[in-house]
Amino acid sequence: MDTTSAADAATPRPATTLPGSPREHLSSPTTRAVLRLQHTVLDAAREHLGGAGFTELLPPIIGPVTDPGARGAKQVDVDYYGHRYKLMTSAILYKQASLTAFDRIFCIAPNVRLEPLETSSTSRHLAEFHQIDVEIAHASRDDAMAVAEGLVAHVLRRVVERSAGELEVLGRDPDAFADLLSGEPFERRTHTAAVADLHGLGHDQNPDAEIDWAGEAVLSAKSSRPFFLTDYPKGSRGFYDKENPARPGRLLNFDLLAPEGYGELCSGSEREHEYGTIIARMRETGENPAKYGWYLEMVRAGIPGSAGFGIGLERLTRYIAGLESVWQASAYPKVPGVVSP
Amino acid sequence: MSALTAGTFPEAAVRERARVGAAAAFPAVADYGRALFGAPSAEPTGDELDAARLVPPVFVPERLEKLIDLAREPLHGDVELGTEVGGFTSPLPLYLSAFGSTQVASADLGQAASAQAGALGVPMVIGENVVPVNGYGRLDGGGGRSLLGRISAYARAVPDGVGGVVVQQSTEDADAEVWNLVYSDPSARPLLDSGRLGFELKVGQGAKPGLGGLTVVDAADADRLSGQFAVEHVFGAGSGRALRCASPGTFTEEILRQQIRLMRNNFPRARVWVKLPPGRDVAVAAAVAWEAGADAVTVDGAEGGSGWAPTSFLSGVGLPLAECLRRIAGPAGCLLASGRVWEGSRAAKCLAAGARAVGLGRAALIAVDEDPVAGLTRLVECLSLELRLLISALGKYRVSALTPDDLWSPTGWAVPARAAVGTVTG
Repeated sequence: MDTTSAADAATPRPATTLPGSPREHLSSPTTRAVLRLQHTVLDAAREHLGGAGFTELLPPIIGPVTDPGARGAKQVDVDYYGHRYKLMTSAILYKQASLTAFDRIFCIAPNVRLEPLETSSTSRHLAEFHQIDVEIAHASRDDAMAVAEGLVAHVLRRVVERSAGELEVLGRDPDAFADLLSGEPFERRTHTAAVADLHGLGHDQNPDAEIDWAGEAVLSAKSSRPFFLTDYPKGSRGFYDKENPARPGRLLNFDLLAPEGYGELCSGSEREHEYGTIIARMRETGENPAKYGWYLEMVRAGIPGSAGFGIGLERLTRYIAGLESVWQASAYPKVPGVVSP
Repeated sequence: MSALTAGTFPEAAVRERARVGAAAAFPAVADYGRALFGAPSAEPTGDELDAARLVPPVFVPERLEKLIDLAREPLHGDVELGTEVGGFTSPLPLYLSAFGSTQVASADLGQAASAQAGALGVPMVIGENVVPVNGYGRLDGGGGRSLLGRISAYARAVPDGVGGVVVQQSTEDADAEVWNLVYSDPSARPLLDSGRLGFELKVGQGAKPGLGGLTVVDAADADRLSGQFAVEHVFGAGSGRALRCASPGTFTEEILRQQIRLMRNNFPRARVWVKLPPGRDVAVAAAVAWEAGADAVTVDGAEGGSGWAPTSFLSGVGLPLAECLRRIAGPAGCLLASGRVWEGSRAAKCLAAGARAVGLGRAALIAVDEDPVAGLTRLVECLSLELRLLISALGKYRVSALTPDDLWSPTGWAVPARAAVGTVTG
């Protein structure tokens, strides 16, 4: 029985500890079990996506421009022979571009985001992390959600089959995934409905914005298997999430939230791919189109419509392993603001 | 005192206030009892706010309320000047405007102004050009002149519970991610944690509505900047100097609305300010901004600004502040006004015409140039005394009690019906 009250979950659980020295962290039985479990997750993801006709690409680490859609996080500048380059905050621009090579691609992409310092106490933010990034040409949001759901279910099935020893070391009861593996589809709820739920619980959620971290934890704590939130308002996401022509102001996008209070695992959407629309959406998100030169050239020449998503690997690992903090799912964790190797 | 000049501004009067403070609110005290005073003969002025007069009534019911409250006749010292300015608590209906895109504002005057504004507890806006010109101050050694140097100077001086720092960003410095930097920087955290950090979206400015930032750069900087900005060699090949032009940015109602929502989404703990140019649709733009959740809308009249601008713009482009205020009449949110404000009378007229607070730009710059330690403090001391005298004369004891009824203008202060969002006036 889940005894977490809404009020408890509304306060992000502080990380009671920070990573120790690299030697302490790497040699701890917990870390070893977590990293072996993460290895199973990656194997299973590659197995599932490879079997479904996806080609794995190795994503770039630096480029002249990167995803601006990270909430309040600073990008890292790199001096590239006198040009200001960025470390990737996400692979989104390259994912869309890569569809001119293959219709179904994925990558295990490293991301760096200098998150606001307040995220150091959410237990779910890292300044350096990885995403299982998927993009599908000519696909709808529903298609992408189906792939995400199938991928998470497959990964969990493999973990239960192959990583029972690691789960035992971690004290994680495999029965926690029984509901997820029951074959029932993940529940879908709109952002509007989620906001109404939160208001009903007395949580002050801005209806025009992303569900805040505390709000996500409240919703997540009330569920026993992952669920989708859809139709976020424009103004809460990057320019590449497609606006719903039938519901102006709402995006054809989704988040996948883990149960038990672990919160967001994944964000995805149907993508904008029309040149003029992307320019207008860039302005709506405060961006200067001039810096997106290479990307806009590709878009102008034509890229396929698509849908896709990115699953936070360390967050997925944290949920599966039942960890208190997401940093425990990284061999060399970078907690926002904490100086570490 | 530097070589800073402001030929189009009452510079000498501002410098006097920066030296002597409240005494400058009156004629020279040495003349008391010897000279005969009276209203100066009317000088024609093209400025409608200057031409307008504050008109105290004979009957003063709010003074009666104050009298009952105090159990004695109220005086000007009983006027409460404290107010809420764009989500911050301020002891005065004032804030420090961003200084323009010039080398003037890049000198150490910025830091001197920051420290004094902090000590006064009034909110301060830091201009969009500080990072590109002086750096962040984190790894680049920009020191006190940098953005973080300015923030630190303010934060060290500001008393608990009042004031706030508002960091501006325009279309071009979205590239520099100024807001993301500040929001994630440890040195800004005390302000963020105490609810005293804000971000201002710069949609435009008074001195050159419709244009982006213009600065004069030397040849070396011209080469460096040519990748990011348009650089024009308008001053002749031998001058060694070139004109750097930024774009004004493209805005529609939807672009403005969504940019504000994104700011609220990405920086939920920061206040959101929007600075508008004196455009003919300023009332619609202000309404869109408030509706999208802006904590303040700043309107910069065409007479505002300290920066470099084409003379054709300085003399003939944009609505005067008075007309901006008239068009926005009955603001639906916190309206802030700037444009040639340096003394109490013009400030009180702006407040009566609907502004919650007024911005000091050039006046603050000149004051700290006159005295980097206390020039701004004295200027504000004088302005505050004038505000108290003027507001009490109007039979009122709170700044928020001022209304257009307190104004008389030779041309009338007729207030048009408020334009609905989605329509364009003009």
